[in-house]
Amino acid sequence: MIRIKDLIHRYTVWESETKKSKKTVLDGISLDIPSGQFVAILGANGSGKSTLAKHLNVLLLPDEGTIWIDGKKTADKEALWEIRGRIGMVFQNPDNQIIGTSVEEDVAFEPENKNLDPEMIRERVENSLKEVGLFHKRKSSPFRLSGGQKQRVAIAGVLAGMHECIVLDEPTAMLDPGARKEVLQVIRNLNRQRGITIILITHHTDEVIDADKIILMDKGRIVEVGTPKEIFRNPELLKQMKMDVPQVTELAYRLHARGIPIELPVLTENQLIDRIMAVKEQFMKGEDLENDGR
Amino acid sequence: MIRDITIGQYYAEDSVIHTLDPRTKLMGVLIYVVALFLVKNSYVYFIFLALILMLYRVSKVPLSFLLKGLRGIILLLIFTFIFRLNSTPGAEIAHIWKITVTEEGMAKAISLTSRIALMIVGASLLSYTTTPKEMADGMEKAFSFLEKLHIPIHDMAVIVMIAFRFIPIMLEEMNVLMDAQAARGVEFDKCSILKKCKNVFTLLMPLFLSTVRRASDLAMAMEARGYSGDGKTSKMYPLAYKHCDTMAYIGMAGLLIIIIALRIIM
Repeated sequence: MIRIKDLIHRYTVWESETKKSKKTVLDGISLDIPSGQFVAILGANGSGKSTLAKHLNVLLLPDEGTIWIDGKKTADKEALWEIRGRIGMVFQNPDNQIIGTSVEEDVAFEPENKNLDPEMIRERVENSLKEVGLFHKRKSSPFRLSGGQKQRVAIAGVLAGMHECIVLDEPTAMLDPGARKEVLQVIRNLNRQRGITIILITHHTDEVIDADKIILMDKGRIVEVGTPKEIFRNPELLKQMKMDVPQVTELAYRLHARGIPIELPVLTENQLIDRIMAVKEQFMKGEDLENDGR
Repeated sequence: MIRDITIGQYYAEDSVIHTLDPRTKLMGVLIYVVALFLVKNSYVYFIFLALILMLYRVSKVPLSFLLKGLRGIILLLIFTFIFRLNSTPGAEIAHIWKITVTEEGMAKAISLTSRIALMIVGASLLSYTTTPKEMADGMEKAFSFLEKLHIPIHDMAVIVMIAFRFIPIMLEEMNVLMDAQAARGVEFDKCSILKKCKNVFTLLMPLFLSTVRRASDLAMAMEARGYSGDGKTSKMYPLAYKHCDTMAYIGMAGLLIIIIALRIIM
């Protein structure tokens, strides 16, 4: 369980060589994330979402306000390693977070740092790599893997740390569409099958339709919190924040705006097909009635 | 030029030499080099040549790799040979242009060149049969007694490992930079050495900047994954001497004794 209350974070910006000023990136964030949920933090570039993620793993400390992770304050120095033990983090660029020269070495990095028994490390490495479907690549060099595979290695590395919650900071930003699907599938499975709390940070709206909860951020503030259905009911708000809406959602919204009685919001292709069929049936029925009337 | 560099010379095979403990192999190379320097009579180099050929055979590394190791230092070998040939006084046998060839010079040149060549070939066997990680682990453990003198051996091992991890990434980035500049008209292949140096210099600045950025990202990722710099860590595959390591050590001691004996006798 993560609780954030009135979190404020400021960066120091050098306006010129001598003059510096403070820029507020997080401006009074208050948030509750219960365990076991799949939460997506959605926001355009510069909305402060990555900064928020770093706060969860105590890579940054609040300037004002408090964060509790399972009742432990992040500002408390003694709780640092316990909190990092609970919360794992996956970063944007896979190349900059893989440390080992082979896949299994990298996955073993965290258990090694925790000074576990060699046998236990091997077991965890094996399980984590199987979880992301890369066990057969365990001896390869990370350099020889594709982007999606690299990011899955990074996820396996975090899994081997046995965290209760994993924060993913734009894990798909540098991947092609196929690799994005691969990674998202792995993330979804972790949440559904292993019950790991997932906090997915992204600016791709189509990645968040499966989330339990979406937190919409803009300019360091939380604009809206809700289920995907609630958030995507009104694409105008997302557009104001300079974010794309999934194509099907947009299409359904525009059809609706033109007076076609389609039920909003539509999140997937199949949903759209169903809804259109429903409208069509309604229309046919209406026509039948009309014909009968004559 | 820079594009051709291959890093990670590891040649994956399943052989006795591959399974040896990296400490054994490091010690082996050390003893091998010391033994090479103990040689006085050039004929003894044939023993070393036979030994190296045998070791390459046992390790299942193809002999072409042996030559590949030499190709990198061919200039050094030629230079050493000519320099030795020319600068050793003694009985003159030939005089070509400005080079005076003496009998002693000939002997010295052959001896020195084969010593360097044998040294390189032997040391490359280590890199063909040992992964960088094994090497770093081996060094860490072999020098762990220095930790008592507050020399940060573990940190150094981590640095070595990260360096190995990042060399291919940086090479790739270098290639991207070269392509980007070549696309804007910079010549990298067909120009004088001086021009080449100048061109490479323009690559260094962006490469340096991106490396610093990478380093800061990596430090954050390491911290997030429980690396604290101090505190005890463990290993997935702890190093442990096996039966074959003992045999190897006996073999090395044998070699050293034979070479010392040969030096005393001859």
